Amino acid sequence: MAAPVIQMTDVTVVHSRAPGVPLVTGVNWRVEEGECWVVTGLQGSGKTALIETAAGLHPYPAGEVQVFGQRVHGTEGEGLEDVRRRVGVVFDGHGRLFGSQTVLENVALPLCYHRNRSWEEVGEEVMGLLQLMGLETLAGQLAGRLGRAWAHRVALARALVQRPGLLLVDNPLTGMDPYHARWWRGFLGRLLVGLPELGGVPMSLVLATNEPRALLGLGRKFAVTHAGRWRCMGDRQEFERCEDPELRGLLYDED
Amino acid sequence: MASPVTATVGGTARPGGGLFRLLKLWTDPVIRVFVGGVDTARRIGAFTLISLGVLATKFGKSPRVIRPLVQQQILRAGVNVLPIVCFLGVALGVVIVGQTVLLLMQVGQEKLMGPLLVTVVVRELAPLTAALVVLARVGTAAVTELGTLRAVGEVEALEALGIDPIHYLVVPRLIGFTVSIVCLTVYMILFALVAGYVVAFLQGLSMGPAAFFRVIADGLSWVDFPLLALKTLGFGILTSQIICYHGLAEPLRLEDLGRATTRTVAHTLVASLLVDAVFLPVYLLI
Repeated sequence: MAAPVIQMTDVTVVHSRAPGVPLVTGVNWRVEEGECWVVTGLQGSGKTALIETAAGLHPYPAGEVQVFGQRVHGTEGEGLEDVRRRVGVVFDGHGRLFGSQTVLENVALPLCYHRNRSWEEVGEEVMGLLQLMGLETLAGQLAGRLGRAWAHRVALARALVQRPGLLLVDNPLTGMDPYHARWWRGFLGRLLVGLPELGGVPMSLVLATNEPRALLGLGRKFAVTHAGRWRCMGDRQEFERCEDPELRGLLYDED
Repeated sequence: MASPVTATVGGTARPGGGLFRLLKLWTDPVIRVFVGGVDTARRIGAFTLISLGVLATKFGKSPRVIRPLVQQQILRAGVNVLPIVCFLGVALGVVIVGQTVLLLMQVGQEKLMGPLLVTVVVRELAPLTAALVVLARVGTAAVTELGTLRAVGEVEALEALGIDPIHYLVVPRLIGFTVSIVCLTVYMILFALVAGYVVAFLQGLSMGPAAFFRVIADGLSWVDFPLLALKTLGFGILTSQIICYHGLAEPLRLEDLGRATTRTVAHTLVASLLVDAVFLPVYLLI
């Protein structure tokens, strides 16, 4: 049987800039291959830190995190680079693109680095991906000059270029206009069933959001970071039935 | 903070307590600065060892990405800095070499010209000046550049892509700055000596250029060449590592960048003078 994509056992997630401050404690979480998890919670409840911990970017003071069966602990651990290459991360906001590089260079960088190829040699492959994502006209633009919605899409392209098995997306729809929000939902749905252009393999998705309503149709399982605790809520029906007033405040615009 | 009560009790209980407190008031900041300096040196040392380790273990990895970055750093810290280094070399030649030669002629000690110019220009001033010019012209900008990358999260983005930030960001600067400082030192020495000779000749030095440079060559020992190489390598490695340490090693906010830059300049100055001091006993033995 294949190892779970993510396995967290009693993990304490801390703030990236304040390692002594626990944000979420007691995280027990198992993500299987092909699943789509929506992790929600109020702003500042630790969703981003959780995602970065799962990506092997943060150390954590307690528990154990395994990704694709490999133990990760922030910057430590053998084979961490290989694990990171199997995990695509789309950061919040402008996606932490390299602002002084063009869109093409941003997306091509991981391929060039890991395959030891020049920009020209991977250009065709990268342009194919950019076309698939409607970004081909932006290829020559500096990433630092893109608007938020387009930058976030470029960040998704950069995360996908190495064909990861797991995609972690932080706030995919926050601040998006309806056009981009629809595109994101559609594209993430296609990734979930497997895009032929990316090998056709269903991808495991973890989507962190403080607007879970927009992702109700996409998520198969739901979890919440709330008041420093981690709660797996189950499927959509179970999630929608939750009684906690603050969690209901995330889902429903009611007093 | 000690309460006034404990302070009074402490003051009356110990004879000469006032003097002790006064002494403590003077020595505490000195001790704090010393301990802080040692701690910073330890951190920069550890960072340098990590960088050199990455350089060694990933030497042949992704040359098609890393090589252009190294070339870019050599262009920035070497080629673009060359005009100002040449200018400073000429200034150094006019001010130091020209005057020294004339002074030695006046007191009839021309035979000291070789050893004196080798000591002042070749061994001391040229390497130090080249390193400080690179620090001022490129180093401060590099701290801001790296610090911004860290502050806006681009370093984590590199890590998320499986790219080692030390390999991608630090190694090119380590190689580029070191190569640049070594080469710029050679240019500075050449320009200083040529300019110095021209000034001295115009003021009545009765020596042809071949004889002048033979005197300089006689003042050089064979050990000077490896020592000069080692010294400039030391300057290059230290300058690049202090810059990268302050830009990358600590999590920064954008408002911290100014302070990081100031600290970089101060630490590089101190480190360069310490490297200079390390070589002093060796030169005294030659």
